[in-house]
Amino acid sequence: MITLDRASLRYGPILGLSPTTFQLPEGGGITGLLGPNGAGKSSLLQLLSGLLPPSGGGVKVFGEAPFRNPSVLARLGLVPEGDRLPSGLSADRWLRMMGELSGLSGEGLKAAMARALGIVGMADRAHLTFSRMSKGMRQRIRLAQALLHEPELLILDEPFSGLDPEARLTLMALLRDLAEKGTRILVSSHILGEIAQLTDRILLLFRGRLLAEGSVTEIRQLLDRHPVELRLTGEAQALARWAVEQPELAALRMEDGAVVISVRSPRDLLPRLQKAAAEGGIPLRALDPLDLNLDAVFQYLTKDHA
Amino acid sequence: MTNAAPSPYRTLQATARGYAPRVLQGRGWVLAGLVVLPVGLSLIIFTLVRIRGGDASPAEAVKVFHEVLVKMMLPIMALVAAPAGIREDLEQRTLPLLLVRPAPAWALPLGKGLPWFAWGALWLTIAVLGLQVLGGDPSLLPGRIVAMVCAWWGELGLMTLVGLLFKRGTLWGALYFFLWEPLVRILPPFLQRLTFTHYIESLAGSRASEVHANQLLAQEQVNTHPFLACLALLVFGALCWALAGWKLNRTPIGLAGSEAEG
Repeated sequence: MITLDRASLRYGPILGLSPTTFQLPEGGGITGLLGPNGAGKSSLLQLLSGLLPPSGGGVKVFGEAPFRNPSVLARLGLVPEGDRLPSGLSADRWLRMMGELSGLSGEGLKAAMARALGIVGMADRAHLTFSRMSKGMRQRIRLAQALLHEPELLILDEPFSGLDPEARLTLMALLRDLAEKGTRILVSSHILGEIAQLTDRILLLFRGRLLAEGSVTEIRQLLDRHPVELRLTGEAQALARWAVEQPELAALRMEDGAVVISVRSPRDLLPRLQKAAAEGGIPLRALDPLDLNLDAVFQYLTKDHA
Repeated sequence: MTNAAPSPYRTLQATARGYAPRVLQGRGWVLAGLVVLPVGLSLIIFTLVRIRGGDASPAEAVKVFHEVLVKMMLPIMALVAAPAGIREDLEQRTLPLLLVRPAPAWALPLGKGLPWFAWGALWLTIAVLGLQVLGGDPSLLPGRIVAMVCAWWGELGLMTLVGLLFKRGTLWGALYFFLWEPLVRILPPFLQRLTFTHYIESLAGSRASEVHANQLLAQEQVNTHPFLACLALLVFGALCWALAGWKLNRTPIGLAGSEAEG
């Protein structure tokens, strides 16, 4: 569905995206595009959505270059970052225009509008002008315009920015639902927790470079040289005595009723830990991985490349 | 679901219809006021003079038409309306939402400009009709209406193009209208043809019979056949709209609204 072959993007003298290569296969699912501000997420999304042509290399979406390519643009939807909508128009009039510009007309357009507005829960408020809508409502309308023509690929740039918690949850549920129905969704965010709630598949960008791709676990496996922190809850003294005998131990600190250990190669250590706990060799009540999450992965990788 | 990309005609229709309500908002009424106010004010003065038993000169209509509408209001209208066209989407960063559609991008400037053209043409026509009350020559009425509407088409197209070519398009437009156009009185004949004023006067009749000794032209005033003058304005306008579409179509415009090196 998406192929980048050493695609790069320059803004004059500034490199927005270093030569990047990756592929996203056909089919539904959500892929998260992660990175701090300025990492190149929007640059990548602009290449994929055909707004900008690559400065070097090649970009193919549905097998074709997307820049000003109607056959590609007819199959993708874009929800850009920010709260930008044309002033002075009502949502339904604007959506009708967007539908017509996507090739819809007549009853098909009416049905598409009703469906898209229904999906985003704005069917009864579409007559309002944008200036009379809340930010969350405008975000829903922006999503509706991208869904009008039932795109196979939906690209969202920082869609959760500025939304209240309830609106975020609603949008996440909506995206999951669309993905289950076969839409391929590419969503960018600089907030790791948002992506972690949506998907396990991520592309990690930093300073215009694609650092890693895969699931959180896969990426974490790339980082074996970074110790994993585990919290062992139980009798701290006994747990510490057991831990210091393990060859994988890199660091240890005591907490109230627990011990936090940093270990290399947790895949070697964990079976022994489980066995010792099962046999009653150590007084372990709970085991919590502290950094096997996106934040830790992100921090490790960006630290390496900073 | 994959739909066929809309034709250029459908794109023009959709964009013009979608943005049509914008002309009924603040900027649209400013545009209307620009032409209606001077004519309305002239009518009020004209009426007051007649009530007091005076005799208003028909030359006043000619003066208002040439000195106020053609020289000042028409360029100001173009300077006011063009930034509300496709340039507005560029500045408000809403253009990417249009450009990710399969519709032909080159049709968007004209599609968004058409409601402004229609709205301006309506009020220009009303203004020219209002001048008849001041004593305008009925035989010149069709020519004046055609001149204003065609010049409006050309000037709006020019300003739309300049707005896409330059960041300070309004400034360049203002310099053209208020520095170059007045030079028509001293320009040699072939350069007179590079002004809107020349074609407007060729269509609507010039003020040659009204000028006094101290207003004698520095150069011989040339005339273009009205049909050719009308054609020139229409073709020039169409060329400007086409170039604006071409510029938009070939320019990479990202989410930040700026151009990227492609």
